[in-house]
Amino acid sequence: MNPLRHTFISRCLDTTPPSTNPLPEELRYLDIGCGGGIFAESAARLRTTASVTAIDPTPDVLAIAEGHKRRDPALMTKGKLTYLNTSIEELPVPGSEAEKFDVVTLFEVLEHVNAPGPFLESVISNVKPGGWLVLSTIARTWTSWMVTNVVAEDVLGIVPKGTHEWQKYVNEGELREWFAEKGGWGGNGGVKAMGVVYVPGLGWKEIPGGEAWGNYFFGVRRDG
Amino acid sequence: MPPRLQLNALAAFPPLPIVRLRVQFQRRLASSSTPDIYDVVCVGGGPAGLSLLTGLRNSKITSNLKVALVDGQDLQKNRLRKDASLESFSNRCSSLTPASVKNLQEIGAWSHAAQARIQPYQEMQVWDGISGARISFDWDSARPILSPRSPTQPTTIAYMIENINITSTLLSRLEELGGVHIFSSQNVSSIALGTEAPDVDLSSWPVLTLSSGKQLAARLLVGADGANSPVRTFAGIPSRGFDYSRHGLVATLKLAGPGWGGPDHKIAYQRFLPTGPIAMLPLPGNVASLVWSTTPERAAKLKALPESDFVAMVNAGFRLSATDLEFLHTMSSGQEEEVAWREQHTSLDTHTIPQKVTAVQSGTVASFPLKLRHADTYTGERVALVGDAAHTIHPLAGQGLNQGQGDAAALVRTISRAVQTGQDIGSVLALESYNSERYAENNAMLGICDKLHRLYSVESGPVVGLRTWGLKAVDAVGPLKGFFMNRAAGGV
Repeated sequence: MNPLRHTFISRCLDTTPPSTNPLPEELRYLDIGCGGGIFAESAARLRTTASVTAIDPTPDVLAIAEGHKRRDPALMTKGKLTYLNTSIEELPVPGSEAEKFDVVTLFEVLEHVNAPGPFLESVISNVKPGGWLVLSTIARTWTSWMVTNVVAEDVLGIVPKGTHEWQKYVNEGELREWFAEKGGWGGNGGVKAMGVVYVPGLGWKEIPGGEAWGNYFFGVRRDG
Repeated sequence: MPPRLQLNALAAFPPLPIVRLRVQFQRRLASSSTPDIYDVVCVGGGPAGLSLLTGLRNSKITSNLKVALVDGQDLQKNRLRKDASLESFSNRCSSLTPASVKNLQEIGAWSHAAQARIQPYQEMQVWDGISGARISFDWDSARPILSPRSPTQPTTIAYMIENINITSTLLSRLEELGGVHIFSSQNVSSIALGTEAPDVDLSSWPVLTLSSGKQLAARLLVGADGANSPVRTFAGIPSRGFDYSRHGLVATLKLAGPGWGGPDHKIAYQRFLPTGPIAMLPLPGNVASLVWSTTPERAAKLKALPESDFVAMVNAGFRLSATDLEFLHTMSSGQEEEVAWREQHTSLDTHTIPQKVTAVQSGTVASFPLKLRHADTYTGERVALVGDAAHTIHPLAGQGLNQGQGDAAALVRTISRAVQTGQDIGSVLALESYNSERYAENNAMLGICDKLHRLYSVESGPVVGLRTWGLKAVDAVGPLKGFFMNRAAGGV
């Protein structure tokens, strides 16, 4: 899954007509719900990354992330990768637009949130003009209900029971609509989606149109 | 990729260890002083290791990795001299496939090669020493029946090149690219896992201590350190296989002429004898390279012969019957006269066998034991193996060095993908695609060459009939031959 996150972010950054506020050569990331830091570490290793701020409200997973980070000297450079034990609601919003982030990421978080609207408001207040919000989640369809609630939790037991509440899932069309109504987002081609599916033995693969019925990436740019 | 079937032939040279290291293997924690941190540390400056480093330095994606090369030998001293005479050639040569050459071109190395010392060849003659059944390979006879020759059709089957020319070429390109920390003439005295400190935890990182006392920590440690790879031993990766109880005898030969096809159409020859194949590969001018796989006893015998008798035995190897050869090896002296006498009583179509050997370049007769080895895996936590460290093959198809070049190119691709997605290039997960891409392919090649060796070790009975029929059948069908030649060329 993690390489696909980079594939999708690169696609957002490289294949969208430029905004009036071009992003710098080296990007600043904010990773929300970083967990053990798989994405945060990989983003921090990229040549094009200035810094990564990664937040998670659970102290235990952050301790794991900090321990793993120490195993790579390249990540120990001061300011390269910073973990903060906080929720997005409690993270102080940057004082100026310039201090906001070039790329804000939200991977496999949205499906666990009770009130997606207010939550997304807190998230996007950290995106700078011309910057991107990139997220991944899962559509609310009978396929996803079957896969996550029945197969993953009940049959295979690879995910703790009660992890997923299917009613909370957000569809790609709903996200597009939400940002369109909000205004100031997604102009000049700045909305993108990519469906992905898990293929046993092969791992996560891109599947055209998959955003309509299963796991998907969604990227939206703040107008410059 | 599908396995490359190799009916054709030929020479690879001695997979002698490139680095000779005395290493203590200890999974204890390394000592106190702080090691220098590298992304890639390659142990072994042979063709595979140098090709890997050149590939990494040549690509924009990987050029910001901090890389080091460690070799126990003096890399500068072992370089081809610019003024080296075209009268003498090293006895360690390889038959580079077009796929290997293409990779060397892509990493910007091929233009640095001493081109006058490289001999492309356009035809191969392979025959059965017992039945005489023969197959000839050239791109013209391999085309489909009645179809015109395509202008883009390659004419070169492979390129004979001295191994020292390959390593010198790669070193020149690496110098041009710069940025590699080279620790030449320095042995690895130990490899151990690093230590955990409050600020950084190197407990999963291999730390090399060099004979100079210098310590290098490797995000990814590459073992390009030959068949007895100390890196492989450190990683605890077993290597399995067996010895063929055969030796590969090599020599640089002087022939009566530039070959039957002249200087522009060079021919390689391989004859399968019950003791193993004897092959003669063309070098520039009237020079050729010999690889004769035979029993250790016969190899010792041949090496001990005076030049004139040795020359006669090589000529006999391509001309006389297996029975004649057996007798000749029992003679204590006088092979030259005996071969001359027996040759008069053997009918030969001289143009289907190599031109006569007239002399041996002094000091080039050598032999080495033939082995088959394959490591259980090519990757471990922060370790990857390339070339002979991963696999040792029977030289009858000349694929050893080409496999190492294929490994290096594949590892560069794997590292590039990992860098592009921010993965730790030393992690097992990031390295997995290298192992899966190369293991099956190399294993198939090892198996095919081993089977060919066994097939042609049989001296009589139905097997001889079957293999004769098979060889003739392939020879008669142009497109099928084209298929085999494509596989031999590395699938390009």
